[in-house]
Formats: sequence, structure tokens, C-alpha cells
Amino acid sequence: MDPYEVNEHEIELDETKNLEIDLLLQGIYQLSGYDFRQYMRSSIWRRIKNRMRVEKVPTVTRLLEKVIHEPAFIKVLLDDFSINVTEMFRDPHFFYSFRTKVVPLLKDLPEIRIWHAGCSTGEEVFSMAILLHEENLLEKAKIYGTDMNENILEKAKHGMFPLGKMQNYTKNYLKSGGTHSFSEYYTTDHKYAHFHSALKKNIIFFQHNLVTDRSFNEFHVIICRNVLIYFNTNLQQQVHELFYESLCPNGFLALGDKETIRFVTRADSYIEFDAAEQIYRKV
Amino acid sequence: MPKNKRFGIRSKIIYGNLIVIFCFIISIIMINYQISSLQKERNYIIKHDMSILELSNQMEKHVLDMETSQWDYIITGKEDYLLPYKDAETKWKDEYNQLYNLLSDNPNQQKKLMTIKETIEHWIQTAGDPTVQWKRENKTQDLNNFFKTDIGQKDMDTIRTLFETFRTTEKSFTNNLAQRLDKQNSMLTLSLFGIAILLAAISISSALVVSKSIVNTINEVTQTIMQMVTSRGKIEKRIVIKSNDEIKDLGNATNTLIDVFTQRQWLQSNIAELVTMYQGISSLEKITKKFLSGISQVTGASFGALYLREQNNQMIEYVKKAIYADPEDDIGIKSFTLGQGLIGQCAAEKSILINNNIPNDYRLISSALGEIKPNSILIAPIIFEGETIAVIELASLNEFTDLQQILMEEVLNTFGLTLNSVLGRMEIERLLKKSQAMTEELQAQAEDLQTQSVELNMQSEELRMINEQLEERTQEAEERARELEYAKAELEEKARQLALSSKYKSEFMANMSHELRTPLNSILLLSEMLTENSDQTLSEETVEYARVIHSSGKDLLMLINDILDLSKVEAGKLEMTFAEVSLNELPSQLEANFSPIAKQKELDFTIMKEANVPDIFYTDEQRFQQIIKNLLSNALKFTESGSVSLIIRKVEDKLAQRWFQMKEAEYWLEISVQDTGIGIPKAKQTLIFEAFQQANGATERKYGGTGLGLSICKEFAKLLGGRIVLKSEEGVGSTFTLYLPSLPNGIHHVKEADTYEEIVATIQYEDEMAMEEEINEVENAHSRIVTLENNVFSNKNVLIVDDDRRNIFTLEKAIKKEGMNVFTANNGIECLKILEEHPNFDIVLMDIMMPEMDGYETMKNIRKIKKFESLPIIALTAKAMKNDREKCLEAGASDYISKPVELTQLLSAMRVWLTR
Repeated sequence: MDPYEVNEHEIELDETKNLEIDLLLQGIYQLSGYDFRQYMRSSIWRRIKNRMRVEKVPTVTRLLEKVIHEPAFIKVLLDDFSINVTEMFRDPHFFYSFRTKVVPLLKDLPEIRIWHAGCSTGEEVFSMAILLHEENLLEKAKIYGTDMNENILEKAKHGMFPLGKMQNYTKNYLKSGGTHSFSEYYTTDHKYAHFHSALKKNIIFFQHNLVTDRSFNEFHVIICRNVLIYFNTNLQQQVHELFYESLCPNGFLALGDKETIRFVTRADSYIEFDAAEQIYRKV
Repeated sequence: MPKNKRFGIRSKIIYGNLIVIFCFIISIIMINYQISSLQKERNYIIKHDMSILELSNQMEKHVLDMETSQWDYIITGKEDYLLPYKDAETKWKDEYNQLYNLLSDNPNQQKKLMTIKETIEHWIQTAGDPTVQWKRENKTQDLNNFFKTDIGQKDMDTIRTLFETFRTTEKSFTNNLAQRLDKQNSMLTLSLFGIAILLAAISISSALVVSKSIVNTINEVTQTIMQMVTSRGKIEKRIVIKSNDEIKDLGNATNTLIDVFTQRQWLQSNIAELVTMYQGISSLEKITKKFLSGISQVTGASFGALYLREQNNQMIEYVKKAIYADPEDDIGIKSFTLGQGLIGQCAAEKSILINNNIPNDYRLISSALGEIKPNSILIAPIIFEGETIAVIELASLNEFTDLQQILMEEVLNTFGLTLNSVLGRMEIERLLKKSQAMTEELQAQAEDLQTQSVELNMQSEELRMINEQLEERTQEAEERARELEYAKAELEEKARQLALSSKYKSEFMANMSHELRTPLNSILLLSEMLTENSDQTLSEETVEYARVIHSSGKDLLMLINDILDLSKVEAGKLEMTFAEVSLNELPSQLEANFSPIAKQKELDFTIMKEANVPDIFYTDEQRFQQIIKNLLSNALKFTESGSVSLIIRKVEDKLAQRWFQMKEAEYWLEISVQDTGIGIPKAKQTLIFEAFQQANGATERKYGGTGLGLSICKEFAKLLGGRIVLKSEEGVGSTFTLYLPSLPNGIHHVKEADTYEEIVATIQYEDEMAMEEEINEVENAHSRIVTLENNVFSNKNVLIVDDDRRNIFTLEKAIKKEGMNVFTANNGIECLKILEEHPNFDIVLMDIMMPEMDGYETMKNIRKIKKFESLPIIALTAKAMKNDREKCLEAGASDYISKPVELTQLLSAMRVWLTR
């Protein structure tokens, strides 16, 4: 693929394109149940453009044709639309804040339920398990890791991460206020670090689509970092509604460091718990 | 093949010509012979016939001479004339003899000759000699008589005719002979022609035979070659030559050429097939699998495996990527390094290796019916730019041919190129995908920020309006602020005073407790002595007074202790002793203590204990009773009329869980003290738990007391894990409810380090023997893993810094076993020295507690050196205390592990930090 091609083919969204994308997303929704209609148009358009370039098709409608007539193609598009960027103890200061400020408030609960919405390959879920273990809370905690992409979840369930990333993860862990040795939690082979299964004991991974699926439990903490940025305002509202429903009174909602709750109607239902780390508390 | 006698073209031609030459010589000899016989005959004719003719002529001449001479003599009578007669008379006889001999082969002519002789002799007798005699005697008569008859003349005529016939006969003989010669001559001519024709026939036929044998094979060769030219597919046909000559050589050479050509064609078509097969595939799995199965089919291999080079932290390993015809995925090793085993050797040497001597324990090829041992294995490197990027191993039931080997070489060359490009493409795709994903996230974040900023704009407009309103208020606020500032100054002054008074309070308390205890001691001791009444001098009443004095003194002491307790509580210095308390005894104790007072004040005093309250309760008995007693005495103190009751209940488990969420609690007790006293106004309800506070100053005067009781109760309850709840209405009464947990194990204020599920193996040993054994065990457990997986550790340089010789020994053993090079330093100074001398260390294991220069110091010093800024250092700390950890990281440790070190954990961490 020629990198310059990208610029040459930088096609702007116009009415026709929008219509075509509408139809494509409608098709995907009706055939698979995955609803991308309210994703940020610009992001979806970039993903579609990439796919068009790979498939060498000139129009979005051609993709729709493939979606309808080639059952396997939907999966390809689903993978395109799902963006999986994550690391362990990502933004360590967030985890530090969580450990020092949120955890003390969870300590006395008989059971702690935490939901990682859009957990991708599970790095943050395992990070949370380690954090809770160190705070002696893992035993009474249940961590739910959900993502709309089942393939990704399969990876997450293994709890093994490439050795090459582990140095960075170790640094993150230490910065996040980890109290043990990070190496206590894994064993290695020549390629991967395998995290101890004791951590997985209280982790539940399952498929959940924030756009179409409903609340499935009441949580003390919901962590949804850098997921909502792909949704349009309307959908963000809708998902926030879902989060609100799923949170216990006084429960915590954690968003990505560039996200804010300020413009959502539900904002009134939360107080800023840690404004810098985007941790909010349900009133 | 029986070897025919070689009969080359040269000899064919030579032999053909020799035959012709031979025939030619024979015919020349024959002709020569014929000619010489002809010559002889001709000579014979010439010599024999000519001499016959000459001799007959001579004879005739001599006869005639004799007659002439006779005549002359007779005429002349001179003796001279008689000489020729005499001479001829002798001569003719010689000539006759000669002639007679010559005619030995012809008796007819001899007869004729004899007749001539007789006639001559007759003439001589009758005519010649008598006449001569007569003359001499001069018998002229006789002479005349004689001449009258002349009988001599008659003889002479006969002689002449005889000679004539003789000569004609002889001539006819000669003619006959000549005629025969002529005939012979013509015969010779004929036979010459015949020979010429025969020679020509032989030459032509030999030429035909030779040329045919040459031309036929050449034609056959040409034909076969033409067939090859026209046929595009396989050339099955071979040139068959029966002759044994240069053409056979040519044929054989051509056959070899065809064989080579066919092989080359086979090679090319297979190469082309294999090359086109893996074109356009960009997945590594697919391409390796496809290629392996392709090459296995072409070479007839029964199973094969392909290993791909992977570089991991400068460590080159070959990892299995594809297998062929293997029922389960367990063929061979998962990976190997350069030079490891046959296959590693092959990768290192970069040349194809064929082994036909398969060891007996080599893997068997399984078919549906059983398992067979392979006959030959072929290991070939796939090379790109001089580096072995992959290795392929094939095993076959048949031996691999040279041709297959050439095919392997050719195909592997192009495959190396393809593989490399696929790897490159995959890497690019992976990076592209990663960068796309990251870009995507960034863009999405950016977009989100953009929408946020749009909304922010709108809000800022709103805010601007609000701002204006605010400004108005600000002015008001400023005025307020001035007032507040004034108030604040006042407050600060008060705070100073407060701090001062607090100081005074502490000093006062300390002094008071001390000053009070001294006199109190005497009071207590003396009153006790009085109570004993050992002299029996005191009345019953006096003893009772003494007892009251003693008990009041004790109360006073308790109060002083309270004060001390409170200050201890406030300083956090009070310790609780959790033990068994019997709740059964509690009501009677309290009854005994308080019912006298109640009676005195004419109050109803009831103590109730519900049936489900367990007997045993775990808490600090002294503080527990202190709380209850305090509460009860307060209730009795502030109640003028009515009742005071104490109720002991067990809190329902469900409620307890919901309210308190304390895991350690066995169960919770609820103890309520209810009175119908003055009550506490709402506003003061929180205040009364503060030290030195009562509802109001008036109460102090009326009821006395220090005001410490409730605050101590509250603090104690807190220390015992419980709390006190107050419900009160002014003028109606108050209810103080104490909730306390039963804590068999006490309260854990200090968090205990959780033990992990894995068994921690302490690597500290008393003697080296034990050490060795332990290491062996650990090693055995790991050796399998280590040999199978690729070793990240091999040839890595590790520096262990530790002052404990046993620790060093243990770690060194274990780490060396992983293939690393271990260096040791006993303290920080040594460590720095070693690092300076050998700067190529991959990792450092750093103990913290060391003499001379400890771990923190050492790490700080290491990090000061620029080239060691990113050198992985794993700190080994004695305790996982929070402080320890932070000091380590601050000093520059990359990671840390708490002692006792667990080997697998250490190795795992090292693997992480050795990965690049």
C-alpha cells in the first residue's frame, strides 16, 4: 500500500457518501445486530476509507454489496470498526488516584462490582485485579470486562501479554503506586508474560455492546476510558444513561483523560470526584 | 548389456575400401597371368615358327648351294669351286637335326622332313658325289651319260616341292596358332570387363552397407530429436542404437542430453509450479504451510517441518511454523537455536544436509495402517542475503535424489526472497494497523475535544452572561470580605488563645494527674487499712465510712486514669486487650453497682438481657465496662424521676452486615441505656461527645462531673470497633445505644502482607549441602522448560551485588544454570568497579542492605553514569515495605523483588527486563 495514496484519495464526506454510509451501517445493523449508526461519522468514514482501499473498491455501496452477499465480510468490517488501544496501568496517575482516593471508599463494602466497559484485550482489567489484590479487596470484588468484539475478548481471557511490552507495564505499575513486586503476578515464557490465574478468579469477560445491550447489573465502579470518544453526542447521552442506571448510589464513573461528562445531561447526577483523572461520583 | 565388438565408421570405410583394393589386386594378378601366357605363346610362335621357316630355308639354300657348287666344279673342274659343296653338305645335316628337334611336337612335319632328308641324301648319292667323283677321274662319259638322263634334276625338283609343302603346312600351323591367340586375346578383354563390373558391384555394395549403417542411425537420431522439438510435453522416447560406433556415442550423448533436458524441464516446471503456488499469499501461516506441502509432495517426503527465524532480544531462534502430514502437532522441537542439533547445525552452515543414516529413535511416519521409519531426512536452510531466515526439514521413505536436492536449492532461493518479502509485508501491515489504530484513537480524541470545544464556546457565552451578574455580586462580596477579614483576624486571635489553652490543658492534666495521685495513694492505702479493722477498734459504721472513702478514692483514681486515657486516646497511644468477656455475669455486676444509687434516687432501674445474646463476647473488658458504667452513671446522674433501663441485645446478622460491614466481627451487640432524664437539646447532641463539654454550663454546676465521660465512651467504642448512637429529646429523656462487635482476633490496624498462593521458596540455607540439593530440585523443575523454549538468558551477563556469600552462591548457581554469565560483587563499591571494567552487563541484581555502600547509594551512583541510564537493575529488598519500595525506585531501580526471593519470579522478571 502506498502511503501517499491516502492523501490522493482523501475524499471528503458529502451527501451521497453520507447516504451510502447510512445504508452500509443500516445493512450491518440488520444483518449482524451491531449498530454503528451513531458512531462518530468522521471516525467511521476513516475506517471505511481504509477498507475501501484494501478491497480496491471505488464506492461505499460496493462494500454494502459485499456485506450483503459475503457473510464473512461483516466480521472484517466489525474488526475495522473496533479500535483496540490499551496497556496495563495506562495513565498510571489514574490508577494511583483510584488506589488512594476511590479504594478507601470501597473498603467497607461487602462486595465490590467493577465494570470495565470496552475492555479490549483486558490489560486494564488485569491491572484493576492487581490493584484490588494489593488492597486486599480482590476476594470480595467482581470485575466485569466487556467488549463488543468477541475475538478481542478471547485474547483477553488468556491473560497473557507480549514480553516486549512488559517493561513499560512494569514502569506503569510502579508509577501507579503498586505496593508489591510486579513480577509476583506473572511467569514468563520466551514470548509472553502469563498472569497468574488467581487474578482471573474474580474476572468475568463477556460480550456486551454498549450501543445495543442493556444494563446487566448494578456496579460500584464503571470504568469506560477512551470508548465514548467514538460515539456521537446522542449516543454518548444514551450510554451515559446506561451507566447511570448501572451505578449504585455513590458509585464511581471513570472516563478517559481527554473525556468529560460536562456536556451530558446526566452530568448533574454526578459530582466531580477527581477532576484531573475524570473520576465522577454518582450523587 | 553385452558389449558388442566396437566397429566404428572409420573401420567400416577402411574395411569397405580394403575389400575393393583386394579384389582389384586379384584381378590384376589374373590379368597379368593371362597376358604373360599370351606373351609366351606369341614368343613361341615367333621363335619356333620363324626358326622352322629359317632352318628349312637354310636347308633348302644349302641344298641349292651344293647343286650349284656341283655344277660349277663340273664345269670348271677347279677344286675351289667344290668348297661350298663340302661346306653345305655338313651344314644341312646340322640344320636338319635342329629342325627335327624343333618339330618334336609335330610328327607329321617330322615325317615330311625325313622324306626331304631322304630325298637330299638320295640326290647326294646318286647325283652329287658320283658326278664330283667322275670329274676328278675325268670320266667325262659317265658325266655325259649322267647328264643325259639327269636323274639329279628330278631329286632336286622333289626337294623343292617338299620344302614348299613343308613350309605351307608350317605356315598354316602358325596361322592356326595366331588365330587361337586372337581368340584368347578377345577372351582376356571380356574377362577384363567382367572383373571391372564385379569390382564396381562390390565397391557399390560395400559403400551401400557402410553408408546405410551410418545414415540409418543418424536418421533415427534426427527423427527423435525432431520429435522432441515438436513435442512440448514430456519426452519419454530415447534413441535406441544397435550398432556400436560413433553414432552410438552420439546417440548416447543425445540421450544424456535429453535426460538432462528432461530433468531440467522437470526442475523448471516444478520450480515454476512451486513459485506460482505461493505468489500473492501474504499470510505467513498459509505460505509456509502451502510451501511445505508443495515441496513435500514434489520430493515425495512423508512429513516435514518448517522453522522460521525469530529474533528475540539479540537471540536468534528458529520457531516451528508449519508441518506436513503430521497427524498431531507434536512433531519435533518447537524451536531451536543456531548450532543446536543437526537442524541448528544446518542453519548455521547454510548448506543442505542429507542424512540417510537415520537413528533408531527417530520419529516414525504413521500411515493409516501403521508406522514406518523414514529412510532419509533432508534439512535445508532458506537463505536471504546470506542469512538463514528459515529451515526446512523433510523426512522420506525413499532417499532424496540429487535432482530433488537441486530442486530444493533452486526453490529455496526464490522462496527465501518471497518469505522475506512476506515477512516484510506482514511487519509493515502490523505496524500500519497499529499506527492506524493509534491514529484513530488520537483522531477520535481530537474530534471529541473539538465537539467539546464547540459546546464550550456555547457555554462560554452563557458564562459571560453569568459573569456580568457575578460582577455585581462581587462588589457586595468585597464588602463582605472586608467584614470577614476582620472576623478572621478575631478568629485567629481566638485560635491562638485556644492553642495556648490547649497547651495549658495538657500541662494541667499531666500535672493534675501526678499531683492528685500522690495524696490519693495515701488516702487509698490508709482507708483500706482502716476497712480491714485489724485492731477491732473501729465501730461497724466507721468501717463502712472507711470503705466508702476507699471506694470513692478508687473512683477518683479511675477518673484520673480516665483523663490520662483520654489524652492517650487523643494521642493514639491507648492499646486494647481483646479477651473473653462473660455476658451472663454482666447484669448482676451492674445491678450490684448501680441499684444502690437508683434506690437512693428512687428511680426504677432495670437490666434486660435478651435470650439470644451469647454468653461469650470478645472485647477489652475494662474499656467495655468503663463505657457501660459511664453511660449508666450518666443516666442515673441526669435523671431526677422515672426510670433508667439497660437493654442488651444481639444485632441481627443481616442488619449488622448492612450497617457495619466488618468482616472480622463474630457478631454485634447492642447495649441501650435509656433514661427519662433532662434530655439533650438537638443542637448540643454532637457537642456532648467532645471532651470537657456538657449540655450547658448550668448543668455542670448542678450535676458536677468533668464532662469527660461521654467523650471517653465514644473514643473507647471506636477503639473497640463500635460506635455510640444518641437519641434524645429535651425534657423527655435520652437513649444511648452502644454497638460493639465481638472480635475474637482483635482489630487489625496494621495490614498484614498477603501471602500469595504460590509457595515461597526461601533461598537461604544453613549449609552448602542443603543448598546444592535444593538447587538441583529447582534446576530439574526448570531444565525441561529451559531446553524446550528458546533461552533468552543464554550468554547474558549478570552482575549479582550482595554481601551475603550464601545468597550469592545460591543465585549464581541458579542463574548460571540458565546459561547466563554471572559476576558477583560483595558491595556497592565493588559493583561500581566491576561495571567500570566490564560495561557490557545486561542486568544487575542489587541487594539493598550492604556494608560500605548500600544498594540505594550504589544504584544512584550507577544511574549517574550516562551509559548505565537504562541498564536494568532489579533491587532485592528485605521487606516489601512501602518505604523500601519507593526508596528503591527513587534510587533508580527498574524493578524490585522482595526477599525471600522466589526463583521463578526472579527469572520471570529477568526475562521481562532482558527482552528488547
